[in-house]
Amino acid sequence: MTAQETGLDHEFRQRVVDAMTTVLARLLDRSEPVTEDMRLMEELGLSSTLGLELLLELEDQLEILIDVELLDADQMKTVGDMATFVAAHCQSA
Amino acid sequence: MTALEAVSVYLPPARTPIESLAGPLGLTEMQVKLFRRFHGLREVCRDPGLSLYDLLMKAAVGLDALRGHEDRVRYVLYARTMPVVGPYPANPLHDVCHALGLGHALAFTITHQSCASGLLAIDMAGRLLAADALPATATGDGQDNQQGPLALILAGEKAFTREAQVFADTTVFGEGAAACLVSALGPRDRMLAYASNVRGEFDSVTGENDARLQREYRPSLADVMRRALDEAGLTLGDIRVVLPHNVNVVTWQRMCTLLKFPVDRVVLDNIPSTGHVFCADVFANYKTACERGLLQPGDRYLAAAVGAGGGATFAAMVFEH
Repeated sequence: MTAQETGLDHEFRQRVVDAMTTVLARLLDRSEPVTEDMRLMEELGLSSTLGLELLLELEDQLEILIDVELLDADQMKTVGDMATFVAAHCQSA
Repeated sequence: MTALEAVSVYLPPARTPIESLAGPLGLTEMQVKLFRRFHGLREVCRDPGLSLYDLLMKAAVGLDALRGHEDRVRYVLYARTMPVVGPYPANPLHDVCHALGLGHALAFTITHQSCASGLLAIDMAGRLLAADALPATATGDGQDNQQGPLALILAGEKAFTREAQVFADTTVFGEGAAACLVSALGPRDRMLAYASNVRGEFDSVTGENDARLQREYRPSLADVMRRALDEAGLTLGDIRVVLPHNVNVVTWQRMCTLLKFPVDRVVLDNIPSTGHVFCADVFANYKTACERGLLQPGDRYLAAAVGAGGGATFAAMVFEH
């Protein structure tokens, strides 16, 4: 599902993607770049604990509150999936 | 049919904010923020002035239904998360039994299913009593139960060591205790089904399968919840409330997404103020559900717990109020 299809603020979603890829590279201690199409668990090995840490860092950096209770972890296959969810389910902190 | 005759819970009024545990437990600022923001853990019960004996006694003396019926108690089962809770030869369980006039009862501890030991204790108490039941009372309908044998279940621990105070990035333990009288034939709250799944490969000592445990935690818990419902001949739609283990809020939010069950019907009230009170959670959450008027006679409810440590146990139990 693309940002255009969901009617999201594309510019804001891109900010989420940029923040996510930077934070993920640091959290996972990864020298290669993280890209939007990468699969969170299978490819990056993101655990649920690190996933929460990622969300917390996004909240701090982007000054938002994410509706975590609506997050269906099983539907978050890729970095892009999670960015779309965050962009669609957050409010200003 | 195994039945909960009465439940009593004691939670020390003294609370410790999660932030003040950071130093002693070596938690990072990020871990504390995670606990507070997503796990819904804000403070835990701690009272350095109360011993384990004190905690268990405070729960047990609150059990009005026990008074005058001590001679009916055949078994005392202490459901525990931690394998060791005191230096030899201290034995708080036996001390409590003697103080309560239960020296005649067979008293023992159940510990190898960690925080799921509480549900196992209920099942085991019912089985022991049923096995003892005389033919004359085995067909009882509640009236016969007035003088029938009972079992007392105790739960609750002191958070002595770091390992007994915090579990990985998952939960913070709080102190407290519960006492529950169980009968084999009582009219309420009747246990309709019990399911459990012991997964020895998830041993936190080796840590080899920690990532797999994280992935399989929720599906495995959902699986035993469905198995217990199947055994009871019910579906989630028949369940009024879920009594969770108080591991954290986000786990249960995600469980609800997985199960398609409304999160406002999971009794999460106590997590922010008590933390995970070892095996006593289910009893504390039962009391909260009753106090909030969430359970009416005839309502079915589901208790669920995961014990993680030396292996992992996923357990679920269905009751009728």
